[in-house]
Amino acid sequence: MAEIIFLLIVVPFIAALGCLLFRIQFIRASIIIICAGLLMGGSLFLIPMIPFAYSPGSFFGVNIHEILQGADFLLLLIIFYFGIKHKNLVIQALSIFQAVMLGYLEFFLSDGGGHDVVFYCDHLSLILVLIICIIGSIICLQAIPYMKNHEAHLKIAVSRQPGFFFVMLLFLGGMNGVVLANDMKFLYFFFEVTTLCSFLLIGHDKTERATRNAVRALWMNSIGGAAFVSGLVYLYVKLGMLDMQNIIHTTPQAGIIVLPMALLCFASFTKSAQFPFQSWLLGAMVAPTPVSALLHSSTMVKVGVYLVLRIAPAIQGMFLSQCITVFGAFTFLAGAALAVGQSNGKKVLAYSTISNLGLIFACAGVNTSEAITAAIILIIFHAVSKALLFLCVGTIEQHIESRNIEDMRGLYTRMPLTALITVMGVITMIMPPFGLLLGKWMAMEAAARSFFGIIMIAMGSALTVMYWARWAGILMSDPFAGKFKLERQPVLTWFALISLSLGAASLSVVSPWIYKLGIIPAMGKDYLSSYALDFGILENSFGVFAVLPLSLVAVFGFLIAVLAVKGATRSRIVMPYLSGVQTSEPRVFRGPMNQNVIAEAGNYYLSSIFGETRLTAWINIGAVILLTLVIGGAL
Amino acid sequence: MSNTIIAIIIGFLVAPLVGGLISGLDRIITARLQGRIGPPVWQAFYDVIKLMSKESMVVNVWQAFCAYAYVSAAAIAVVLFFLKSDLLLILFIQAVGAVFLVVGALSSTSPYSQVGAHRELLQILAYEPLIILVIAGIYLETGSFKISAIYDWNQPLIFKLPFLFVALGYALTIKLRKSPFDLSTSHHGHQELVKGVLTDYSGPYLALIEIGHWYDVVLLLGFCSLFWATGAVGMLALLALTYFAEILIDNVTARMTWRWMLGYVWAMGFTLCSVNLIWVILG
Amino acid sequence: MKKMLGKIIASTRMKSPWILHFDCGSCNGCDIEVLACLTPVYDIERFGMVNVGNPMHADILLVTGTVNHRNKKVLTNLYDQMPAPKVVIAIGACGLSGGIFRDAYNVVGGVDRVIPVDVYVPGCPAKPEAIIDGAVLALKKFEVLRQQKLAV
Ligand code: SF4
Repeated sequence: MAEIIFLLIVVPFIAALGCLLFRIQFIRASIIIICAGLLMGGSLFLIPMIPFAYSPGSFFGVNIHEILQGADFLLLLIIFYFGIKHKNLVIQALSIFQAVMLGYLEFFLSDGGGHDVVFYCDHLSLILVLIICIIGSIICLQAIPYMKNHEAHLKIAVSRQPGFFFVMLLFLGGMNGVVLANDMKFLYFFFEVTTLCSFLLIGHDKTERATRNAVRALWMNSIGGAAFVSGLVYLYVKLGMLDMQNIIHTTPQAGIIVLPMALLCFASFTKSAQFPFQSWLLGAMVAPTPVSALLHSSTMVKVGVYLVLRIAPAIQGMFLSQCITVFGAFTFLAGAALAVGQSNGKKVLAYSTISNLGLIFACAGVNTSEAITAAIILIIFHAVSKALLFLCVGTIEQHIESRNIEDMRGLYTRMPLTALITVMGVITMIMPPFGLLLGKWMAMEAAARSFFGIIMIAMGSALTVMYWARWAGILMSDPFAGKFKLERQPVLTWFALISLSLGAASLSVVSPWIYKLGIIPAMGKDYLSSYALDFGILENSFGVFAVLPLSLVAVFGFLIAVLAVKGATRSRIVMPYLSGVQTSEPRVFRGPMNQNVIAEAGNYYLSSIFGETRLTAWINIGAVILLTLVIGGAL
Repeated sequence: MSNTIIAIIIGFLVAPLVGGLISGLDRIITARLQGRIGPPVWQAFYDVIKLMSKESMVVNVWQAFCAYAYVSAAAIAVVLFFLKSDLLLILFIQAVGAVFLVVGALSSTSPYSQVGAHRELLQILAYEPLIILVIAGIYLETGSFKISAIYDWNQPLIFKLPFLFVALGYALTIKLRKSPFDLSTSHHGHQELVKGVLTDYSGPYLALIEIGHWYDVVLLLGFCSLFWATGAVGMLALLALTYFAEILIDNVTARMTWRWMLGYVWAMGFTLCSVNLIWVILG
Repeated sequence: MKKMLGKIIASTRMKSPWILHFDCGSCNGCDIEVLACLTPVYDIERFGMVNVGNPMHADILLVTGTVNHRNKKVLTNLYDQMPAPKVVIAIGACGLSGGIFRDAYNVVGGVDRVIPVDVYVPGCPAKPEAIIDGAVLALKKFEVLRQQKLAV
């Protein structure tokens, strides 16, 4: 066990240092590839070992709790330093506050620690470790060619890649720490590590905008950190321990636990960029795309939902839980509405991430067996599909030098395979029988009893369909006779895109077994498993989703449709209808004085209704009210 | 097992025939309302067979993909309905078809198709939440999303969920492409967008879409039938009345803009749904 | 089997002719007569005829008015965008030969100068009855086209 924990948490740190020290492209790439391989292998090795608890006493002869204390304060010092460097009072104040709280906890309350189980790995942790190690590694691999292109494009003389990959790998270790830690002090440390990594990566390009957005991300996440550490102090004062499993399962009187739980939820909301903290995640989109894929969609923002899922059993039946439902559903709706108003591809992805995280929070708040299942399914499939889509947008952006959806019109004729994979990614986001829709279906059936929840989820769901469908549509928008030449891409890019898209599809097919082997044990004793599984059909007392049969039908339908495409390549290709004045150019018609005129048809972004400037203020107000409800309800 | 097979056959083969017949009747009744005689009852089938036999012609080969995907999704949704599966699941599968229809239209550069496709998306935006809420209301009343359980419910749902039925009526009007919501395309000859979302589909592909529409009609009437599931006579009467009301609305209203549609349908629909849901939750 | 299918197709073609009406430069007299066919008095929908707005859906191209240099390209474009089998009906004296406009400097002449015409419906303007009659004649052309295709 010691080895595997070492492998998952410390090895990435060592590899990160390796990247920083060896400044040669080839060696760096080898280190990353080896580290990725180790992480993937290590995470698979974890499967037969769970559940286990592990408390290392010392690390190379030094007491691990002392190491933690040192590291904690060092981390806060670094954050404080950045607060001074960027002249941000909020960051300074919050880091001092956290240090004071932590000092109070470490030196006045606790006696040096060591009573709580440090690491604990159950099925829920395992699922997240697998996501982090496999998807994270794939993204890091794709980052190798991406960053090379990126720097070539920006004409940077001295490569900043060593620093970049240092932070990326550091982050992977930190993430594994977050999901494996059981002692909340460790959890807090790794939580802050991810915050710092996020800050460094957002600011990586060192432009003025990047720096500004990075600072914003840091101060917003510091609020979460402050809430987190306050929750810890409160818990320790009342319970005298910080052992996550113990706290959840011994469930002392609800009155005691509700406030710290609310604080932890608050920390989760900041980490998962829920309204009104969404702006840091949007700003984070200035970072190179692998960063967005890794931190800001598939892993780091999942820390928030992971935490809430962890504590969900303890808040079952509480008012707090209901508030989280409404808050999550609201974010789902608001995120989707703002995504509709966007033409910037990465922003659409960002809002969609926020929106999906909101749905996961809503599920955690509903807090029944079906809802928790839905939440975990959404976490898994959102990670795969969204990572895929981010990588696609990154690849497209490097080719067409734009991330605007309008510029991707007819991309299919220029980058056929990438465009197809993007469409595939979109399809896995919104269509049955793919995993995300399975999760959404479960979420709706579980939330049907929550009046506000279901109304907002219903609206959000329709908006989601709208912004995805039009994107998929215009990637194909060009007269096209069925013959194309594959575009050239680095091997690692193809590897990442193809493995993720195949992964998204094939995981969906086996989702009933993921449920049976992973999610039921992950819910453990806290929830009775709800869905029965036979012939790949998930069924409970009020709903049924035939995953496997539908997948087979879908494959069959897909083949027919592909044959139809093959058949259609033999048909006559005509220009689109343009009132009879079309020319041989697809969009051009013959206008007055025999001049060629371009017929422009843009997407509806409905900015008068769903525009960012129009909606954001109202949504923030709504979110603040709901957030007050969450915290206030706990007091 | 044999029941399953019969259900699949009915869903797959009989449903589109019924759908085609309904659209033929629809055209006759519409003509009579306008003082005309109208086409034969089988006109819809003549049209589709003729379209099937025409030259295959596309702007973009992905239109073929989308047309097939649309009709398959619509057919699967209907088959699942006859298998008495899960309502929400059926709705999602139906939505797959709708999305592919839009994607296919977007794959042409013609502004008519493009604008039509976006209007179609707005229509989805208008009706989908309403249907989800209707399904949620049915669940709250009967305790199940499964059609088998809903058909076994001992009294007609319409007495408990009247407002939800009206809300479903809005969705039905949009989905059947009836005025005042026939924005994206309509069954009448042509409109300001030529044929909107269908503009660049032609020949066999247009025929497929027409067949897909028949499936959709059956599915939506199936949804309506849930509201009177205790007897065949009552169910048929309800369906006939509902459909006639749709035709009447189609003939007495003018096409409106999408802004109006979204505002009106959401405002009315959500109010109706909320009132009825609260009523059920408290009741 | 194949024969039966052919028969079915032939009969459905006769029963569902969709019309594209193109005003090529008419004085509007003929257009009004064409539209009159849709009204309750004539009700061409009885025969399954629908006035579509789009060549891609049409079987019959109904052209009124003279062809001029400006719109001849439009006419051929529309004709090209119709899927086979298709027939063309020229309506009115103008459609047939250019009518009273035939000597104007911008006029090319009748429709058959640009695209092949199958049925000519004379008149100034053509009467609705004559137009319907022309359409019925055009339907016969479909059968001829089918036989030709079979013969090949
Ligand atoms: S034929 Fe007569 S009525 Fe018809 S367009 Fe020519 S001038 Fe006008």
